[in-house]
Amino acid sequence: MSSRRWRTTGLTLIAAVLLSIWVVPVLWALLTSFKTERDVLAYPPLVFFEPTLANYREVLFGASSILPNLVSSVIVAGSATVLTMLFAVPAAYALARLALPAKRAGGFYVLATQMLPPVGLIIPYYLILQKVGALDTYGGMTAIYLTFSLPFAMWLMVSYFEDVPPEMEEAALLDRAGRLRALWHVILPQVRGGIAVTTIFVFLNAWNEFLFAVVLAGNRVRPVTVAMFNFISVEQTQWARLAAGAMLAMAPVIVLGLLAQRHIVKGLTVGAVKGGGRR
Amino acid sequence: MNAGGRVRLEGIVKRHGALTVLHGIDLDIAHGEFFALLGPSGSGKTTTLRILAGLEPANAGKVWLDDEDVTAREPGERDVAMVFQSYALYPHMTVGENIGFPLRMVNMPHAEVASAVRDAAAKVRIDHLLERRPGQLSGGQQQRCALARAIVRKPRLFLLDEPLSNLDAKLRLETRVELRKLQRSLGVTTVYVTHDQEEAMTIADRMAVFMEGRIAQVGTPAEVFARPATTAVAAFIGSPPMNLLPARIDQGQLHVAGIAFAAPAVSDGDILLGVRPGALKIAPHGIAARVELVENMGDTAIVDCTVVNSVENTPIKWRVDGVPAVREGDVVHLTAAPEALHVFDAATGLRR
Repeated sequence: MSSRRWRTTGLTLIAAVLLSIWVVPVLWALLTSFKTERDVLAYPPLVFFEPTLANYREVLFGASSILPNLVSSVIVAGSATVLTMLFAVPAAYALARLALPAKRAGGFYVLATQMLPPVGLIIPYYLILQKVGALDTYGGMTAIYLTFSLPFAMWLMVSYFEDVPPEMEEAALLDRAGRLRALWHVILPQVRGGIAVTTIFVFLNAWNEFLFAVVLAGNRVRPVTVAMFNFISVEQTQWARLAAGAMLAMAPVIVLGLLAQRHIVKGLTVGAVKGGGRR
Repeated sequence: MNAGGRVRLEGIVKRHGALTVLHGIDLDIAHGEFFALLGPSGSGKTTTLRILAGLEPANAGKVWLDDEDVTAREPGERDVAMVFQSYALYPHMTVGENIGFPLRMVNMPHAEVASAVRDAAAKVRIDHLLERRPGQLSGGQQQRCALARAIVRKPRLFLLDEPLSNLDAKLRLETRVELRKLQRSLGVTTVYVTHDQEEAMTIADRMAVFMEGRIAQVGTPAEVFARPATTAVAAFIGSPPMNLLPARIDQGQLHVAGIAFAAPAVSDGDILLGVRPGALKIAPHGIAARVELVENMGDTAIVDCTVVNSVENTPIKWRVDGVPAVREGDVVHLTAAPEALHVFDAATGLRR
């Protein structure tokens, strides 16, 4: 074997090991979701078993159905995403283009909010939501998610807007488009990829969020992440149902990830090479 | 056809922080003129164009278009079209959509847009490419697409910012000629920014030479070539540019490189003597120069020399038709007719 083939084999092996760290738990959960509770607890773990759909039937249509929770998750994550993008896109455009006096400081502040440990904010948020009567409401949860997703989305979108050559916008201004139509017809189509990536990241962050949801909501508003937690109780943990619920909750994540795969890879490397993110 | 297109700049000042990039620009451009803003990079020519377009505000001064004060108007309200150095085509639109964009922005009916787009595209010979996207075009085709987008709306003023600088040398020469013909046939006033003096000389009706944020000279290319106003202009125009030799006028005698000539009718003092490379001739009483290098260009040659009796080894370039009968290391004696001499003040650089 040539040294080049050795290298390729070596790299493939390393990649396989790293990949398995992410894949094995998911596969484990997938297998578990088709097992009966008795098979789950069998030792040594069963690789071959008689698969059952009972867990899925139970978590979808049974007494502990998570369907309403999936709906809750869609409402919270969906509204947080829509509002975030509605504000983040114009804000990021302004940050990227206009010569604002405190641009640098503002940009750093936006980034700094991402460095706070979320757990430190739970008590203040709880008190604030309690004061305004928004505990355990869709409005309250959406507002809390906005505080995190908006800075993140702005920060991500700015780099996309900065990648659009200013002359393109100036050409549109001279072509009598005005600022708003220049943004709509010329600038936004250039950052489509960025908008897609940002939307997906924001949605997934809100969809996967657990900590705030369990403390600041949980009764009337109970997203699927919190609902799954109920399969774990002091007396027993219903591993198979938990796994089935997890698979259902993961489905949109995986679908969105696959849909946006092309954009996401581009999005993560945007700015690495000048102009590499476009076209 | 648009009858307007007169441009007037009055005392335009532009500052970037503490740096003043334009120190009061005054300029008048007549209807239908092909006017070049020429200067080295950083001289303020592009900034002037952008102020004219409304893309940048001036810190002081006024912009007039056809006797209207447009200083405070938005770019889209000035009825001017611009071709950018980078072309600034919209990559997500087809060529046809790019060209039609300025018309769609004023809600022109679709059928009219389509026919106007075809006309404009035909004028620059890209009407067979309307369905392509800019990314699928060659550099020359992209440049034509940008040009078509500018002419489609029949504006009163074209602004061209180094439109040929991204083309290869051969295409640049061809496009230059076409651009000139197109402008003649449309009759629209055109302001053209370039750092290439040859381009400005060949294409412009008149030009303004920018030096360090000021206009050093305005005139036809022939005027500027024949009588450069400053040493900076003299050293910028012409290929190769004018030779500038330190000299002195003393009691009616011109002393250069240790040789006395009859002086032109100017007052005594230290001067820089300007002489075009093509105006030099060999003569026994001329100044001595050692040949350093012969650059043969086929029908002409540039002979790079050093003035022998000069303190700082003053270079002097001599243009010869045909093949020169000199070799490197030879000493030649060069002179020029009195009317071919330009006298500049040594201290101020101004023409005397």
